[in-house]
Amino acid sequence: MLEGMVELPVRFRIQLAILALSMVVFCCAPSAKSQGNYEIQVYGADTLAPKSIMVELHSNYTVVGQREMIDGVYPTNHQQHETLEITQGINDWSEVGFYVFTSLQDGHGWQWVGDHIRPRVRVPDSWHWPVGVSLSTEIGYQRTEYSSDTWTWEIRPIVDKAVGRWYFAVNPALERTLHGPGVADGVGFAPAAKVGYDFTRAISGGLEYYANYGRITSISDLHDQQQQVFLVTDLNVSPKWEINIGVGIGATAATDHWIVKGILGRHFSWGKQSAVE
Amino acid sequence: MELGSYATASAVLSLRAQELAAPEYRIEIAPYTVELTPKHSVRTVAYNGQVPGPLLRFEEGRPVTIEVVNQSTNAEVVHWHGLFLPSDVDGAMEEGTPMIPPGGKARYTFTPRPAGFRWYHTHTTAGDDLKKGQYGGQHGFLLIKPKQDPARYDQEVFLALHDWDGQMMGSSDGSMSPSYRFSTINGRVLGFGEQMRVKQGQRVLLHILNASATEVHWLALAGHQFHIVALDGNPVPSPRNVAMLRLAPAERVCAVVQMDNPGVWILGEVRKHIHAAGMGMVVEYADHGGLPVWEQPQSLMWDYAQFAAADSAPAATSHAIEIPLVFESKFSGHGAPDRWMINGKSFPNTETGMLKAGERYRLLFKNKSRDDHPVHLHRHSFELRSLPGKPDLRGVMKDVVLVEADTEITVEFTANNAGATLFHCHQQDHMDNGFMMLFRYA
Repeated sequence: MLEGMVELPVRFRIQLAILALSMVVFCCAPSAKSQGNYEIQVYGADTLAPKSIMVELHSNYTVVGQREMIDGVYPTNHQQHETLEITQGINDWSEVGFYVFTSLQDGHGWQWVGDHIRPRVRVPDSWHWPVGVSLSTEIGYQRTEYSSDTWTWEIRPIVDKAVGRWYFAVNPALERTLHGPGVADGVGFAPAAKVGYDFTRAISGGLEYYANYGRITSISDLHDQQQQVFLVTDLNVSPKWEINIGVGIGATAATDHWIVKGILGRHFSWGKQSAVE
Repeated sequence: MELGSYATASAVLSLRAQELAAPEYRIEIAPYTVELTPKHSVRTVAYNGQVPGPLLRFEEGRPVTIEVVNQSTNAEVVHWHGLFLPSDVDGAMEEGTPMIPPGGKARYTFTPRPAGFRWYHTHTTAGDDLKKGQYGGQHGFLLIKPKQDPARYDQEVFLALHDWDGQMMGSSDGSMSPSYRFSTINGRVLGFGEQMRVKQGQRVLLHILNASATEVHWLALAGHQFHIVALDGNPVPSPRNVAMLRLAPAERVCAVVQMDNPGVWILGEVRKHIHAAGMGMVVEYADHGGLPVWEQPQSLMWDYAQFAAADSAPAATSHAIEIPLVFESKFSGHGAPDRWMINGKSFPNTETGMLKAGERYRLLFKNKSRDDHPVHLHRHSFELRSLPGKPDLRGVMKDVVLVEADTEITVEFTANNAGATLFHCHQQDHMDNGFMMLFRYA
């Protein structure tokens, strides 16, 4: 009983070490491009509780985007991306997420785009860190019609902190391509950040920032970088529901100029849920 | 209050006490390391270098003097919880009891009453420091010997529940609340504390105190039942056997356990995560060994009403002046604890209730918040008069009652102890965030 409680950080440290080692290997390897606007979300550090699952639908519509087909990749303009994300809590400090990416577009219909898997671990509460910290890694495939890089890998440190009505999160993610023309590009730096403010217990608003600076060893010119800012609101209507709505503007030529996004999530629990659990 | 004021007030209190009596008890408030397990310790502040503090046994009606020396780095005050005392020695700065400055001392002289199981603890603000105030180790048992014991017993055992090493975490109500790493009985984690040794056929009287700063606790003793004889130290009209106890912060339960099931058992928290955090104690019968046995209850059961007078029919309705008290929270952000309000205002801006000596008052608690609140009235006892779905109760006298979220409870008390009287939620984070008000006598 008590032994289990004490062992938990040790197991976590081992996983953290494996992930850190992966990160070193990853940083030494060639690189990649961004993965498209299928899941537009700044991650918080918390993980899902064990014996529970979160089902989320990410709906993103590119109002103004790339109008030309480039290297066999469909243009993003007026693409509707529907992404199903299913996250399973493993224990008090880890979870695994699974994604199904799809796209709807005139002339192409509703197409399956690809799948990703995303394990994540976090610093346990018992460590009493002043900020929330977790580490996510994501690997997956997408079809060449939607991304010239078909296999990609991302590692995403996550740090967040709530102070009174303010909420801050940063995700300095690193990306690389495992298969595709981006393999030779080196490690890409794709940070994201969020600042939120609680107007009420149920309604929060804020800004989300997404970027891709290109190769970490050779930052791209601003013209070629992806730079997006979203005005968002989070509706905390119930612990069972997650609602995030936003409108984003892309500030560079390499970024889709207008995107509307929405996330609708539902939390489910199973197993014995008596009051003594 | 500035340091100079502390010192002056302390000296006045000290002088007054010296005129009355030399101290019979001495309590030293000082930093202390409590060893929860051989591998886990918590640096805290305690009374006389022990957690819980020393057991104080007083005789009802016989004046006592207690010298308190403050060797800690913070101004302190000791509250004598559940006693009918004058405001200047009750132990709450808000009522007018002087604080004891660091390095200072004070003498509390009073006549202990009423008889029963009481306790003493610090009554300071902790704020964001989850090692100060009631989060720490400043609590101890106080027993005022009754003229007649509420129960016959062969052995008396005192147990204090506490939670340690807390941090503020986001909670389901959307604000920050303390969460703890360790939970203990008498300052030790299950398996590392002293065993309760009993003999077959004994009647063991348990005096159980929830000294947690914020947490409600549920207790069961595997293989046994509790015969409840007193709540908050006051004998109940209808003693009953129950399978488990619920104690909100600051509540006490006196229960007799008939030791008629030989073996080695666990007395522990019913909820699994608190049990796993260490709240438990081994109960071992003489001449029995082996691994202690825990029988996990599958539900939580507690009802104050079962201990009320059997003839709780509406008796001659006493005239009582009604005072509605509405509890609400004010959201301060997901990264902060809520502010708490009584009738729309937070302390020190809460209304002052005016009392007339000898009058009977009916407090109508309306909890419109998402949290439960163990509310405490200083210097008086109140009678539970109604609970949700139970409109006519009599005879259960308490000084703390848990008002669950979105419920209403009615209590009555007689204004029979003139002086400033504090009323507050006993959750440290709630009282620190405005959940207090004063009553004064006209």
